[in-house]
Amino acid sequence: MRKQTYNVLLACVVISAITVFYLSISAMECPNSGATIWSVWTANQHLNKNLSYPLHIPLEFSKGTPLIFVGGVPRSGTTLMRVMLDAHPEVRCGEETRVIPRLLAMQATWSRSSRERVRLDEAGVTEDVLDSAVRAFLLEIIVGHGEPAPRLCNKDPFALKSLAYLSKLFPRAKFILMLRDGRATVHSMISRKVTITGFDLTSYRDCLVKWNRAVEVMYDQCQGASKGSCLPVRYEQLVLHPEQVMRELLQFLELPWDSSVLHHEQLIGKSGGISLSKVERSTDQVINPVNIEALSKWVGKIPDDVVKDMADIAPMLRRLGYDPLANPPDYGKPDPLPLNNTKQLKGAKGNADEFHSS
Amino acid sequence: MKTKYVFETVADFYVRGSRSQVMRLSVRRVVMLVLWVSGVCTAVWSLQRVFTCHGWLTPALRVSVVVKDTNQTQYHYSQDSPVVFVGGVPRSGTTLMRAMLDAHPDIRCGEETRVIPRLLALRHGWRRQGQERSDLEEEGITQEMLDSATLAFLLEVIARHGDPAPLLCNKDPFTLKSSVYLSNIFPNSKFILMVRDGRASVHSMISRRVTIAGFDLSSYRDCLTKWNHAIEAMLFQCTVVGAKRCLTVHYENLVLQPRTTMVKVLQFLDVPWHEGVLHHEEAIGQPGGVSLSRSERSTDQVIKPVNLQALTRWVGHIPPDLLADMQNIAPMLRRLGYNPDANPPDYGQPDPEVIHNTEKVVKGHFKPPSSLKRLSQEIVSKKTNERRNIMNAPMHFQSDT
Repeated sequence: MRKQTYNVLLACVVISAITVFYLSISAMECPNSGATIWSVWTANQHLNKNLSYPLHIPLEFSKGTPLIFVGGVPRSGTTLMRVMLDAHPEVRCGEETRVIPRLLAMQATWSRSSRERVRLDEAGVTEDVLDSAVRAFLLEIIVGHGEPAPRLCNKDPFALKSLAYLSKLFPRAKFILMLRDGRATVHSMISRKVTITGFDLTSYRDCLVKWNRAVEVMYDQCQGASKGSCLPVRYEQLVLHPEQVMRELLQFLELPWDSSVLHHEQLIGKSGGISLSKVERSTDQVINPVNIEALSKWVGKIPDDVVKDMADIAPMLRRLGYDPLANPPDYGKPDPLPLNNTKQLKGAKGNADEFHSS
Repeated sequence: MKTKYVFETVADFYVRGSRSQVMRLSVRRVVMLVLWVSGVCTAVWSLQRVFTCHGWLTPALRVSVVVKDTNQTQYHYSQDSPVVFVGGVPRSGTTLMRAMLDAHPDIRCGEETRVIPRLLALRHGWRRQGQERSDLEEEGITQEMLDSATLAFLLEVIARHGDPAPLLCNKDPFTLKSSVYLSNIFPNSKFILMVRDGRASVHSMISRRVTIAGFDLSSYRDCLTKWNHAIEAMLFQCTVVGAKRCLTVHYENLVLQPRTTMVKVLQFLDVPWHEGVLHHEEAIGQPGGVSLSRSERSTDQVIKPVNLQALTRWVGHIPPDLLADMQNIAPMLRRLGYNPDANPPDYGQPDPEVIHNTEKVVKGHFKPPSSLKRLSQEIVSKKTNERRNIMNAPMHFQSDT
């Protein structure tokens, strides 16, 4: 009998061991774990950090939650920014929600029409009531969207078209507006065929006009936001001098420095790290470390007539500090880290047939 | 003494002996125990991780809204709060029903929110099987998350757009196209579907020029077809929700026999009887009473007591070529108990109270007070300009960093 029990116990142990092994492998692709202390603990283990301070994860979310919103015109480095932030142990952004910009756009339509505002006021649906409803919706999505973290973050590029409104909903929120040379942005969406509502991918001219309009709307709101709440970040500076930019950024966000933000590629798919989506168009790029490959791919690709008219088509270029007549402008010299990353990337590709556009 | 010594030695032997026995087995036992316990612990831990990974054990975020009334009494609302949704095809007596309910001290409906049907439409777009739904799943946006987000939005609007009350109510006519969905996210919700002779509804919207999305007000035929389609969908939803939670009320019964009908309605809602529901016109603008919107098209009618004026106004106004075809154009008429070939059908006998009310109305006793006069163009432009001035106030500008 003793031998039987012994065998039974042994079998239990073996089964448990196998289960643990299997589950820990599959748990790496855990898309949506709502666990509380566990994921933080494992995150610490993964990062091999000995955090000297305890991570405080809030249990309640409200108007006062210090959210982080990342956005900009699509193809401006928004995904790179959010994955680098995701690499920070205290931040969780997660994938695009898609639904947040839709709700914000609907609210903007109601708000723009004075007639509708009057009708809503008559119905008792005042701005305060509507704001609390939109806020509640956003919080449910942002909070439930991934692992808990001390600082929750959201990246939906066009959400920043409602930057001022979001700032009203969440007075303690901080905004990161990704800016990029419009020519690079437009070349990226056209060459990669990334459908964006309102952008005609057959025309560089149309896309540049639309880029100009969109970035102006967002940039004006960023400039008009209360002091210290919106930071514009240039994609070119981010990839050329990642440490400098990230140090400034983390200070702006009132977060401690953590060098893992410079090595986001090591945390992809890890718990407490970075979750990527198969349907997002930048996923195949952000699995690589920060590099300067996509900087000037647009040069020579823009039709001549558009190049000639550039300053008139896209006046925001000059306003943002990009010389509309230089092809390309001098964005700056890369730091060793991104330079090395780019060399390794090019080396790995070698004479690969696959042609990556920006 | 001898026995004691013997006892001691025997005890000693046993202890020593058993100890050595225990000793021989204990190392093995302890090792086995440790392995077994750690195996169980790790299995439990991994299971928990798997479960939370798939969201089975995730504590659902509690949605709750706290509202204070004028006496500083706190009302807590959550997804479990009882809520009643009133709806139907527009021009079917939905406003009358909600006004009568509002006259009850324990119930508050308030005006049409306008935003709730729009959010529900957005929500349904994200539910439909297809590319968008699978893209959302891929981005980590589950249907459960969308449900709690929708619920949070709805609860905030319903709870905050009027005074608090034990039983909250919402009247946006087209929400009853989503009765099944609402009954799932609000587990303690009930529904009142207002049903009316389609010919009367259609005549009302056309003669009063009430714009309704999808209804072509220049065509009785189109409006009747759309009415038919809409009421069929709502009735289907109501049937699925079930009789315990969804009650259909015929407008004609409501105005002809208000007492009997309201007794049934309040019983359905599990709310004690209150005579005030039969005199809603006395509670207009009162605290805890009926709040009306100057923008709504039925306001000038519901300031009057329950009356028979609108019952058969449609007779003689339907284009003759449609009359013969009525059964084919609007088969729901017969299904709902209205004779499509009778112009009009016999809706029933009015109560004396209603006849009395109608006489008073005809004599002109109920003119809209100036505070509720339909928002004239003048007032709308004035309010528009006020808003424009507020919106154009200079924003805080910050120089480039």
